[in-house]
Amino acid sequence: MQATTHMKRRSDGRISIKSGNEVQLIMQLTILILTVLTVLAFLFFDYTGLDIQRAIQETAYNLKVMFLEPALSHFGWGEAIYQVGITLGLAFLSTILGAVLSFFLALSAATNLTNEWITKIVRIFLAFIRAVPTVLWVLIFAIAAGLGSEAAVLGMLFHSIAYLVKAFSEAFEEVDKGIIEALRATGAGWWHIVVHAILPSTFTYLMSWTFLRFEINFAVAVAMGAAAGAGGIGFELFMASSFYFDLREVGMITYMILVLAIILEVISTLLKNRYFPASIKN
Amino acid sequence: MSLLTVQQLGKSYNNQNKVLQNVNFEVDAGEFISIIGPSGAGKSTLLRCINRMVDIDEGAVIFDGADVGTLNKKELRKLRTDIGMVFQHYNLVPRLSVIENVLHGRFGYKTTLQGVMGRFTEEEKERAFFLLEKLGIVEHAYKRCDQLSGGQQQRVGIARALIQEPKIVLCDEPIASLDPNASKIIMDHLKSITMELGITCIVNLHQVEVARDYSDRIIGLRQGQVVFDDVSHRLTLERTDVIYGTKTKPVPVVRELATV
Repeated sequence: MQATTHMKRRSDGRISIKSGNEVQLIMQLTILILTVLTVLAFLFFDYTGLDIQRAIQETAYNLKVMFLEPALSHFGWGEAIYQVGITLGLAFLSTILGAVLSFFLALSAATNLTNEWITKIVRIFLAFIRAVPTVLWVLIFAIAAGLGSEAAVLGMLFHSIAYLVKAFSEAFEEVDKGIIEALRATGAGWWHIVVHAILPSTFTYLMSWTFLRFEINFAVAVAMGAAAGAGGIGFELFMASSFYFDLREVGMITYMILVLAIILEVISTLLKNRYFPASIKN
Repeated sequence: MSLLTVQQLGKSYNNQNKVLQNVNFEVDAGEFISIIGPSGAGKSTLLRCINRMVDIDEGAVIFDGADVGTLNKKELRKLRTDIGMVFQHYNLVPRLSVIENVLHGRFGYKTTLQGVMGRFTEEEKERAFFLLEKLGIVEHAYKRCDQLSGGQQQRVGIARALIQEPKIVLCDEPIASLDPNASKIIMDHLKSITMELGITCIVNLHQVEVARDYSDRIIGLRQGQVVFDDVSHRLTLERTDVIYGTKTKPVPVVRELATV
C-alpha cells in the first residue's frame, strides 16, 4: 500500500482527513478565546435596576407601536415623498459623479492599460480612502463645506470613487489581452483602444457596479441625513426618534426606507443576473 | 530590394534563455512564407518582433527601408498600419458588430479624436463591405461577432487586417483552433491575398502538410534558431525531423511502388 506513507493518523489511531497545519490551530484557538470572552462579558455588566420581565414587555410594546401602528404626525405624505426624493438625490448625485470620475481613474488603475508604478500609486491611494468610513469623510469635508448636503455628497463621492475604481479596474483587467494586442497591432492609439475595445466589452459590468453602488449610497445617504444634517428622510428619522420620541413616525419612515431598499435590491439583482458572468458575480 | 530583412535578430524575455538567437532571413514582396517549428520555438515572438509588439533585443528588423527597432512612438504607429496581423483566437471585440470590428483596422490612420468618435469615411465603409463580400461573410455584417463560428470570426480578422491596406500580413497560427474545413477556407483566402492583391504573407503554422501545400517558402525554427529556409518542396521528412526533433520511420518502398 503506497498511500499509507502519506496517511496521517490521530492520537487514537483513526485516520485524519484534516491537513492539520498551523492555520487551523490558530483559527480554533481564536474561536475558543472569543467564546470565553463573550461569556465573561455578560458577568461584568451592570444589572442594577433591571427588571427583565418589564424590559421584555416594554420592548415588545415599543416594537408593536413602531411597526403595527405606523403613522405620520409631524409632516404629511407629500413632504415625506419629497424628503425621500432628497435622499435619493444625494445618493444619485454622488453615484453618477463618482462613476464618471471612477471611469477615468480606473483606466489608470488597470494593469493592462497603464504602466505598473502608476497603477500601484493609484491603488494604494484608493485603498487608503476605502479604509476610512464614509461618515468620517463626510465629517472631514464638513470642515471645509460646513455640515449639510455638500459635505455629504463630497464624502460619499470620495468613498464611491474608491469603491468603483477597484471594481471598474478589475473589470477592465478581465478584457482579453489579445483584443488589446490586435488593436495595437493595427496602429490604434491608446484612446482608440479604450473607447472601442475596453468600453464595449465592459459596459454592462460598469452599469451593474454603478447600480450596486447606488444602492449602497442610498443606505449611506439615510445615515448621512442624520449624522451630517444633509436633510432627506434620514434627518426626519433622526428628528422623530431623538427629538419627538414619536415611535409611530419612526415605524412609518422605517417602512418607507425598507420599501425603497427592496425595490433597489430587486432592480440590481435583475441587472446582475442579466449582465454578470458567473466569474465576477459576488 | 527586399521588403523585409531580419538581421541577427535575438530576443530573450528573462535575460537567461534566449527565445530567438541569430535569426537571419529576407522576404520579398509577394511571397507566401510559412514558419514552422515546435511549440516554444519562438515563432510567435519572431512575428511580434516584425511589428515590434515585443521589443527587439539584438540585431535589426528592416521593414520597407525603416529600422523597426529605432522608430519612435508616432513612426511605429505609422509602421503598424502597413503590417496587418491575424491571430489564433481572432481577437475581435465580441460585443461589437462585424462591420465595427473590421473598421477597427483603420484606427492607425486616424487622429485620436476621429478614432474616438468613430468617424469613418464612406469609402472606408464601402471598402469594409467589399472585403466582407470577398471573404463571403457580408450577410453577417451587422451581427455581433460572438454569434459567428470560429471560421467566420477568423475571416472578420482577415478583413480587419486587409482594410489597413497593409504591405504584409502576419498570421499567428490562424488555423490552430479551426476544423479542417474551416482551415482550408482560411488558408485559401490567405493564399488569394498574396496571389490577387500581391500582399506578402508570413504564416506561423503547426501543420507541416498545410505549410507545404500553400507556401512558396518555409522557414523552420528550432529553439530560436533558423534550421531550415528553402522553397517548400525541399522540405523532406528528414528535414522535418530536424526541425521537430522527432524520428519518422522511412516510408516503406513497397507501398510507394504499389501506388505507382
